[in-house]
Amino acid sequence: MLMRILAVMVILAATVAAESGKPSSGSSTATTSAVVPQTTAQANAIRVEGEKRFRTNCGRCHMPPHKFPPRMMATIIRHMRVRTLITDEDMRYILAYMTE
Amino acid sequence: MSDLYSEDSLAVFSVTYGNQPLAEGLLRDSYLSLSLCAYAMTIMFKAMRCGGWFTALCLSLSLAFCLALFLSVFMSAPALAQAPEVSSAATVPVVSGGVAFVPFVQAGQTTLVSIISPVVLVPLGDNWLIESRAAFEGDFVRRDGTGPFGGEVQKSLEYLQLDYIANPHLTVTVGRFLTPFSMYNERLYPVWIRDLQADPLILPLEQSSSNGMMLRGGFSAAPNLNLNYAAYFSTLSNNQTLASDREVGGRIVAFFPNQRAEIGFSVGHLLQQTNANRFGTHFEWQPRAFPLDMRSEYANTESGQGYWIEPALRLSALSHLPILARTQVVGRFQQFFTKPGATNDDVPGANTREPEVGLNYYFMDGLRATGSYGRQLSSEGNANVWTAGMTYRFAFPLGRGGY
Repeated sequence: MLMRILAVMVILAATVAAESGKPSSGSSTATTSAVVPQTTAQANAIRVEGEKRFRTNCGRCHMPPHKFPPRMMATIIRHMRVRTLITDEDMRYILAYMTE
Repeated sequence: MSDLYSEDSLAVFSVTYGNQPLAEGLLRDSYLSLSLCAYAMTIMFKAMRCGGWFTALCLSLSLAFCLALFLSVFMSAPALAQAPEVSSAATVPVVSGGVAFVPFVQAGQTTLVSIISPVVLVPLGDNWLIESRAAFEGDFVRRDGTGPFGGEVQKSLEYLQLDYIANPHLTVTVGRFLTPFSMYNERLYPVWIRDLQADPLILPLEQSSSNGMMLRGGFSAAPNLNLNYAAYFSTLSNNQTLASDREVGGRIVAFFPNQRAEIGFSVGHLLQQTNANRFGTHFEWQPRAFPLDMRSEYANTESGQGYWIEPALRLSALSHLPILARTQVVGRFQQFFTKPGATNDDVPGANTREPEVGLNYYFMDGLRATGSYGRQLSSEGNANVWTAGMTYRFAFPLGRGGY
């Protein structure tokens, strides 16, 4: 019985993974990427939203670290995305906030 | 109004209100996903008729997982469609980790605990990540009671895993990974993160590491609800460094961002020896009004059951004086209840309860002084537990290219 459940999960995973390899209307990718502001107002809004999401997600376990270089931060945020509960959208805002 | 139409094997999903598009998504092979979900549901109902509560619970988790994947395909579309322009960010391998020197005094016996726990992160391309953490821990005690301190350094490989980020809602992990059971083992265990240095009494009930495969991910199911899931299968390993049991299990977590509250449920089923089940739940809350962290866990296994509850308050709530803003007061109360025939030697042999208080002072980012006092109350004897020490978190890029 449990093996059948695992089989179902693996097939589902393969299905969703296959979808990720094809282009979609939302231009969604699984890559580590930051939100890019177009205007100063948008940059401020992204910073505020990024800080809010940082405190809401990352601040649940640890204190805010000092900011790391962007390439380090991109690696660390990928690690934390896998390890913790942050969503893809949260990750992009947090990366933008931590590398501004 | 909603539409669902097909172009060959392609299904386009759109929801509109008047002329305003509310959601727009793309779903391929939707009939396959639907049929798989229906298949999982059929299995669950059969199990509820034929199996016990655990089977039904386990299968419910499986069903939730299936639905989560299915819904994520639909529900992710609006957010992604509205997301601003993005650009790729270059990555670099990173070495991070924690160091701690925390002497323990328990029942009059001093143990000098020294830990270094390096984490290595190697990103590969846009969607892959190799991550590993080892631990080197020396618990040095006085030889013959009064002699010099000495002891062996224990080495362990806590995880060495390859992650494939398949899409924004699914990550596939293979290798040795931290078992996704409750939250302490995965998120709060590192010495530079934990608020109290002594392990919770129920920590040994949370299988620390597993060897096998894990599927996990998260998505926003509603404006104020993020769901996160993890399902894993682990193989048996008798190697001392890579020890693991043959087991299957999973966890589902609901997080409410506006309230900063999280609740999660975990299950595990041993596929060897006693075929025992284990169950756990955890809760975390950080009110927006003041800097309080409230955490709690409960675990129930064949070797016993217990819980802990831990509030931690930053004194910046009282004053913004630097000395207070950097100070954190922690409390914890925990209880453990034994079960007859317990097979885990790392848990207390008798019912135990323990109140603890602690103080942390953050000198700077990553460097912290920590101390605590606890009183273990047990029919095997009461004991005081003191800790005092320092913790440090480090991180640096491997090679050039940090910027």
